[in-house]
Amino acid sequence: MTPITSKICVVGDFAVGKTSVVERFVKNQFSEKYLSTVGVKIDTKEIDFPALGVAHKLVIWDVAGSDEFGPTEFAYLRGASGYIFVADGTRPATLAAVEHLHSQIGQKYGPAPFVLLVNKRDLSHDWSVSDDYLAALTKAYRHVYRTSAKTGDDVEQAMTRLAELIIDNDMRGQ
Amino acid sequence: MELPPQVVDYLQSEFLSRTRPFCFHIDENYRLIDSWGHGDWCGLTGIEPAADMRELAPFLVGIPITAAQKFDFIETPSRAVVNMHLIPDDRECYVVLLDALHEHASTQSRQQSVNELRLMHTRQQKLISRQRDLISELVETKSELDHHRREAERISANKSRFIAMMSHEFRTPLASIINYADLALEEGTSSNDIQKSIETISRSARHLTSLVEAVLDDASLDAGHVELHEHDFDILKLLNDMAAMMAPMAAEKGLSYATYVDPDMPSRVYADEVRLRQVLINLLSNAVKFTVEGGVTLTATYNDGRLVVTVSDTGPGISIENQEKVFQAFERGDGRGETGAGLGLTITLRLVELMQGEVSLDSMPGEGCTVSIHVPVMASQDVPAANAPILPTPGDETIAAKPLSVLICDDDEDMIALVEHYLHRSGYGLITSADSEEAIAKTLKYDPDLVLMDCNVPGVGGVVAAKVLRERGYAKPIVALTASKLSGAQKSAFTHFFRKPAPMQELLTEIKRLTH
Repeated sequence: MTPITSKICVVGDFAVGKTSVVERFVKNQFSEKYLSTVGVKIDTKEIDFPALGVAHKLVIWDVAGSDEFGPTEFAYLRGASGYIFVADGTRPATLAAVEHLHSQIGQKYGPAPFVLLVNKRDLSHDWSVSDDYLAALTKAYRHVYRTSAKTGDDVEQAMTRLAELIIDNDMRGQ
Repeated sequence: MELPPQVVDYLQSEFLSRTRPFCFHIDENYRLIDSWGHGDWCGLTGIEPAADMRELAPFLVGIPITAAQKFDFIETPSRAVVNMHLIPDDRECYVVLLDALHEHASTQSRQQSVNELRLMHTRQQKLISRQRDLISELVETKSELDHHRREAERISANKSRFIAMMSHEFRTPLASIINYADLALEEGTSSNDIQKSIETISRSARHLTSLVEAVLDDASLDAGHVELHEHDFDILKLLNDMAAMMAPMAAEKGLSYATYVDPDMPSRVYADEVRLRQVLINLLSNAVKFTVEGGVTLTATYNDGRLVVTVSDTGPGISIENQEKVFQAFERGDGRGETGAGLGLTITLRLVELMQGEVSLDSMPGEGCTVSIHVPVMASQDVPAANAPILPTPGDETIAAKPLSVLICDDDEDMIALVEHYLHRSGYGLITSADSEEAIAKTLKYDPDLVLMDCNVPGVGGVVAAKVLRERGYAKPIVALTASKLSGAQKSAFTHFFRKPAPMQELLTEIKRLTH
């Protein structure tokens, strides 16, 4: 299989579960303890696409949470092939942050494949994002997932989808 | 001024021991050319020349090496924390990795506290907002409860008003029935007066029946939701009825009673006779009730599709400030000392408005009172009013065409006696039964030409009895005569259906038609 390596960046507001999502995806683990990320955390994971004959190695940059990017964060994003935007379904303000970051990154580096994860779906009693809003987000951003790093719901699917989007993007020579 | 060499040496040694620099030189394809220092602390040991450094240091993936760059706090897959400096050299690049673990740990600790505080604040805000929502929900629930309470009070008040209204409405015809019955029973009353008394009793009883029907119809609706049932009727006869009903009541109080009818008044109109009668009774009985001396006059005119009936009295009159009040429920104007629920004019106003009409009142204290109703009414074809008795002696249309038998099943002896009287007179042979099961047996045994069945009778009941008879092959008409309201399915068990009290003329005509 042809090996491909891509850098992807996980971005979003603080405490939305970015590191937990990566932990679930890379190590299939979850910790209830909140540990804020400083700087950036690097992990790798390979996904095979036998049908495409591609082994896709993802180098994941888990960037410290922020609702506004400055030069330090933009430096981390340099050379990224795709993005994972993460918001917290129990804090609607984090979706606004994602929308803002998406716009900032687009202006700085141009369009790139991405998926949007509205995380913490396991906290249904505290869930604050209406189905209508999610539908509107899906219409606007297309690849939107309601995920739970805790249970693993839809995490793998979202990551795999991003890996596919990047391959597709590469194949189209963009 | 330059630092003394020993200070420079000290700082250099201090920096090197704290940051443990590891430097490697890569070509444009990220392949290792050379390296300095020990990279074991960041997982980079035993690196062979020409190795692809992106494999060993994946954080180099995607990073262009053509410009000087600095990346702080990169936590590597081996969990080392490095500050990475890229120093380009033509198309090649020097990569310097400095150990930043301790600095990262202290920064992380500070950041953790800040983030936890921010999270706590967010949660607090959320709790406050939820508390606000709960409070507004409570307020809303309370307001809803208040609304329901007010609604329940309104319904209760309506119900009380409805009962009071009905009581008021029943009183006048009941008084007429009682008074005329007393008159008919009085010793020495002429047969002519007895006949007239019975006619008036019959009219009042029919009016009462109409009211009961209206009450039953309205029972499922809110008070005030009355539907009009318009039909063609003799307006002159209605006005005569009013005179027949009210003149004796006026005479009892020593009052005169007069009726003036416009010569252009059509004899027949299309309107709700029951409600119009109700309105006129209300106006006239009020006028009679409140007038002590003088009299009551009814004037009826018809002009351009509008019926105007004016009732004038020589009573105490109503002050201007009380004129609006008298149209409100339970108000009796100037408290003129009369008994009653004070609903007459309220009902009148509501009924007239329902007829798309208006009520006007003209009065001054001490100068009597004039109330007019203006109602749009369609004139019917001018048919002279029939001067016939209320219940004519049955004619040929009710006489049996041939010797026929009818089975009557009713547990009310008076009803059997009444029907028996009329059927005998019309030439029918009769079989009677007070029990539905006995009626089934007798029907199957004697095979009458028609069965007249009450529904609420002992045994299996009239509806089941009718079905049993059909199942057992009885094919002749079965007619229901009942006070109960029947459903569509129940009605289907019968050939025809009469609701008590049924006009005998209609009953006899239908029996003849069915047995012909």
